[in-house]
Amino acid sequence: MRSFEDDPTLQELLSADQLQRLNRALSGLCKEPVTLSEHKAGDSVPVEFNLERVGWLSGGGSRDEQLAAAELVSFLMMFVAKYRLAANLHHDTTEASYAELQRQNEALKASETRFRELSGKLQQTVDEQVDVIRQTQQELFESARLRSVGQLAAGVAHEINNPIGFISSNLRVARDYVEDLKEIAPDTPANRDLLQDFQELLTESIDGTSRIASIVADLKTFSSIDQADYSLCNVNDLLQSAVHLVQTEYSHSLQIIERLNELPQVSGHPSRLSQTFFNLLDNAAQALRDEAADDASGRILVQSQVQGDTVRIVIQDNGCGIPEASRARIFDAFFTTRPVGSGTGLGLTVARDTVRAHNGNVTIDSHPRTGTRVTLTLPVKGS
Amino acid sequence: MPDFQADDNKLTLKVVFYGPALSGKTTNLMQLHSLLNPERKGELMVLETRDDRTLFFDMLPIGLRGNSGLDLRLKLYTVPGQVQHDSTRKAVLSRADGVVFVADSQPSQQDNNATAFGNLEENLEKVGLDIDTLPMVVQFNKRDIPGVVDEQELQHRWASTPWAPLVMASALQGRGVIESFRTLLDRLYTVINEEFTLEQQHGISRHIFIDGLSASHEAEHAKL
Ligand SMILES: Nc1nc2c(ncn2[C@@H]2O[C@H](COP(=O)(O)OP(=O)(O)O)[C@@H](O)[C@H]2O)c(=O)[nH]1
Ligand SMILES: [Mg+2]
Repeated sequence: MRSFEDDPTLQELLSADQLQRLNRALSGLCKEPVTLSEHKAGDSVPVEFNLERVGWLSGGGSRDEQLAAAELVSFLMMFVAKYRLAANLHHDTTEASYAELQRQNEALKASETRFRELSGKLQQTVDEQVDVIRQTQQELFESARLRSVGQLAAGVAHEINNPIGFISSNLRVARDYVEDLKEIAPDTPANRDLLQDFQELLTESIDGTSRIASIVADLKTFSSIDQADYSLCNVNDLLQSAVHLVQTEYSHSLQIIERLNELPQVSGHPSRLSQTFFNLLDNAAQALRDEAADDASGRILVQSQVQGDTVRIVIQDNGCGIPEASRARIFDAFFTTRPVGSGTGLGLTVARDTVRAHNGNVTIDSHPRTGTRVTLTLPVKGS
Repeated sequence: MPDFQADDNKLTLKVVFYGPALSGKTTNLMQLHSLLNPERKGELMVLETRDDRTLFFDMLPIGLRGNSGLDLRLKLYTVPGQVQHDSTRKAVLSRADGVVFVADSQPSQQDNNATAFGNLEENLEKVGLDIDTLPMVVQFNKRDIPGVVDEQELQHRWASTPWAPLVMASALQGRGVIESFRTLLDRLYTVINEEFTLEQQHGISRHIFIDGLSASHEAEHAKL
């Protein structure tokens, strides 16, 4: 590539038209026409400009005329060359600047790509954080909701406890009175039927009140979640007493298999853990009852073991299972898959909240018609 | 980088007058144009000045013929000193064979000198030249102005550089200009002779090189 400082040739200095015009003008000044060209011809004299021979001048009326014309040409060439030099330099520097600009542009593009990647990563981090916030918010909302439901429940439980107490005891007294009436009243078929019916009504009502009392008890547990009364618990003992309770409830008709391994003591809230175990066993028993036309095949497995620095408790049944549609809602307070009246639906919520309060975990694994396995893990070290 | 065209037996060398704006680079070249009487001398091309300032560059070609017929050319360039003309400075500096750094002796101009020298170092590197091996002369110009920085102090400051001793000049009065140029020719010859064996192949000795290119009218007058 020619650089701006290379000595220019005649062709580079003048176009063909310009050269013709110059020749005409010079010829006009001389006695005979003169010709400037790049090639030496016969009697021509060299035309020099800046130590460089740019061409040859021939023709003219005399040697003096030739020399004068050549001098005039080299004088003109200075200005043409000056312009050429400046223009070429300008061209060179512009190209260099352009190349530099392109290089910078490439660098900029590279850094833009880097920036974009970074910003993509940033966006991802932000999205993740937003998810975390959203989830936390959801949990916060949920716990706030539960707390307010809990407060309401506590108030309701408190208010119901007294009347249900005297209604229940009154009903029992009334049932005794009906016994007494049987003695006193004349023994006619009509009276017998009436008193029999009366007694059955009262028995049903007593059942009803005891169900209400049990709901109230559940509600009390549910609403006492934030109370702190921790001590070292023997989880196996708590499980065993819960098993006894539920057996009593079901008149010892349940087939409960205990596989309790030796456990370290766990720092926890014994009554709430007991309540949790009871609820889960009660759920399992209900699931068996719902499923089993034939009671003999229904089994509940209660298992405990150490796993790393946690205690793992499994309560498993081979009952009806939880339908998939309900599974997402199983922890909702008051949600129940059972017919209204057969339970409060608080069992699992209480279980989850209790376990969470102990920094543990609950997972539920359930298949319709196969059974349900609830797994609790509690940290040995507490919080 | 010397430009040798074997076909024409033509060797073109490039010397660049570098320095801050208004230090006297153009004046140096103008003085060389009028003072020098080398074997061959072209036109001084002063390119497009505005307010007395060089916009592109100035150029003066001079030349010498060796006994081998070698057509030795020396093109002397100045660069525009203004900061904004850096790309022009770089273009002119590229492939330079020697540099005359024209500094301004006035105390107020010392910062500009330093900046321009830094810029020279930077641009030499960018165009792939090595400041430590490039033949170079540092001239402190405008010695005629009263109150300029003391010569001894300047010489002392530059003593440990490859460019000591400095050449003191007053380009306006034509003093030190040829001396600076001859010093450069001397350093340039060493490098060029090494590469092109000027003396052996072309009969151009150091003495012929320096005197042939820097012959001055004054010297001739002196001879008479
Ligand atoms: N007093 C004085 N003025 C000088 C000298 N050399 C140059 N100048 C002045 O400084 C100004 C700039 O000089 P010029 O050669 O254009 O500087 P350049 O920008 O380096 O090319 C002009 O007015 C010159 O007359 C000098 O030796 N002494
Ligand atoms: Mg200038």
